[in-house]
Amino acid sequence: MDIRIENLTKTYNDCHAVDHMSLTINDGELVGLLGPSGCGKSTTLFMLAGLTEPTEGKIFFGDRDVTKIPPEDREIGLVFQNYALYPHMTVEDNITFPLINRGMKKALAREKALEMAKLVKIDQLMKRRPGELSGGQQQRVAIARALVKKPQVLLLDEPLSNLDAKLRVETREEIRRIQQEVKITTIFVTHDQEEAMSISDKIAVMKKGVLQQYEIPQSMYLNPANEFVAGFLGMPEINMMEVDVKAGVISTSGITLREGVKIPDGHYHAGIRPESFRVAEDGISMNAERVRMTGRDLLLFTKLGNTPVRVLVHSDLQLAASDSFKASVREGHILVFDKEENLMGRY
Amino acid sequence: MEKKSFKGYLYLLPSLIIMVVFTLYPLIKAVVMSFLGDYSIIDGSYKSIGFENYQALFADKNFIKALCNTGIYVVFVVPCSIIISLFIAVLINSKIKGKAFFQTVYFLPYVTSVIAIGIVWSWMFNSEYGLINYILGFFGIEPIQWLNQPQYALPALIIFAIWKSMAFNILIFLAGLQTISEDLYKAARIDATPRFRVFTRITVPGIMPMIVYASIMGMISAFKVYNEVFALFKGKAGPANSAITVVYYIYDKFYNSNKYGIAAAGSIVLFLIILALTQVQLRVTGKRKKK
Repeated sequence: MDIRIENLTKTYNDCHAVDHMSLTINDGELVGLLGPSGCGKSTTLFMLAGLTEPTEGKIFFGDRDVTKIPPEDREIGLVFQNYALYPHMTVEDNITFPLINRGMKKALAREKALEMAKLVKIDQLMKRRPGELSGGQQQRVAIARALVKKPQVLLLDEPLSNLDAKLRVETREEIRRIQQEVKITTIFVTHDQEEAMSISDKIAVMKKGVLQQYEIPQSMYLNPANEFVAGFLGMPEINMMEVDVKAGVISTSGITLREGVKIPDGHYHAGIRPESFRVAEDGISMNAERVRMTGRDLLLFTKLGNTPVRVLVHSDLQLAASDSFKASVREGHILVFDKEENLMGRY
Repeated sequence: MEKKSFKGYLYLLPSLIIMVVFTLYPLIKAVVMSFLGDYSIIDGSYKSIGFENYQALFADKNFIKALCNTGIYVVFVVPCSIIISLFIAVLINSKIKGKAFFQTVYFLPYVTSVIAIGIVWSWMFNSEYGLINYILGFFGIEPIQWLNQPQYALPALIIFAIWKSMAFNILIFLAGLQTISEDLYKAARIDATPRFRVFTRITVPGIMPMIVYASIMGMISAFKVYNEVFALFKGKAGPANSAITVVYYIYDKFYNSNKYGIAAAGSIVLFLIILALTQVQLRVTGKRKKK
């Protein structure tokens, strides 16, 4: 089922939690709603679920306008951030609960629950109570409960935030696997850019209620629509700096970064990702003030003119703190932004 | 180590002394008294030792009546109060305007003197001018002689007591309801749960500890009912002792008839009943927990 959001707005006391958001999600896609806390991503999710009423705008599931339809009739499955499992029921009762509510016979409901439990690999825990399960197992039960009624849309609110780091990576792969197996249109909310990029078909980045960009992860990373998206995606964070353009030459504090570009002369913001640097003999001379080994890479803290920058180089480079090195920026990896902070181009 | 524990006991001593003097000693004394025939609290004299008082107690029609009345009272007051309180607590807890106002209103009976409330209720029960008969009149029910006819005295007492005990129950149920996560109700909505099922499968299990607590506390205080009788019937036990309760009987034997031994025996019987029933209740709820 594809989802269409038109001009969706939610206002709380004159404050726009979600501001005229429009978005189309294709059938079977996994979409990550990404943004810092308070950006309106959870509000959007709850409006899709029907638990929050929009102030303005419309939501379509397929051709059906569901804006005014109560959550129980929307054919959605929702997984809460804290899972919201019914604490006094066994895992089996939790999963069969939505089916029995809809009048299904107990025996059949149990059969369906077992099927779903096998999909999320918790079939051996059916008689336990939520309190006796680990966070990861509770998460799976919550997904099974959401999926058992065969919804058209699966919504997940910060599905990984209550798990420890290792489990998080494992679980996000599981979510992807389950989503692929069931082939269900899925939307999940997260504040973790890595999480969003690694499993989403498309990412929607939000800031203060406004949709910033809606793209497939790779394009978004390479072509961020604006400074905010550029800064939000990527770890370590993108290096932002003031640059001057004069006669086709981009420079920062007098250091030439690129020649022969076609932008009007003036003062701009530019972003260079730490991994966009390449060690080169003819490059800019820099001094590594601090060196941090991260495993695959060396993270160098240095300065480009007056701007502190982080540079990632391969960890086999022999470099210690206060050593100097030479590096240039890879072609097409200087992102230049205009006055409105929108991307002008990559140089 | 020895020295340390000695210091610990020293800290406990003041409260221990108070407990021994005012709780433990009277308790033992009451047990002893109950076995002494014709005991006098003035000179401590007695005529015999044995089960005489207990025999007299169970031969006394008034005591049997008090036992029956107390039993009926407990059976009606405790469950009714819990069910109605639960209902009201759920209503107050839902998103209504003036929540704080209703919370205060329902808690008022708890902080008001029983005697004052008793006077108000005795007016409301008044057969000629009372509010209750006035309301019943709308439904075509003839005025009832609530406080003057023996068969209505106990029902009147029960109605009064249910209303009186609701305040405390509503308070603890409200506290319990607030511990149930809002997300569970949202999840239930998405799961298309019928209202009644939400109540029985989410709300009630969520505040089960409070319900158990309220039922134990309610039962103990219902067995000890005395104030309510005294307040409603102006110091009497209702027309022809029709609303007599065990504690009222004990009080009457002690202060009015000066039968100290019998009063003591009555209190021992009451003590044993409460002890046995709370044990049963704890066992039952303990088993539930283990499950």
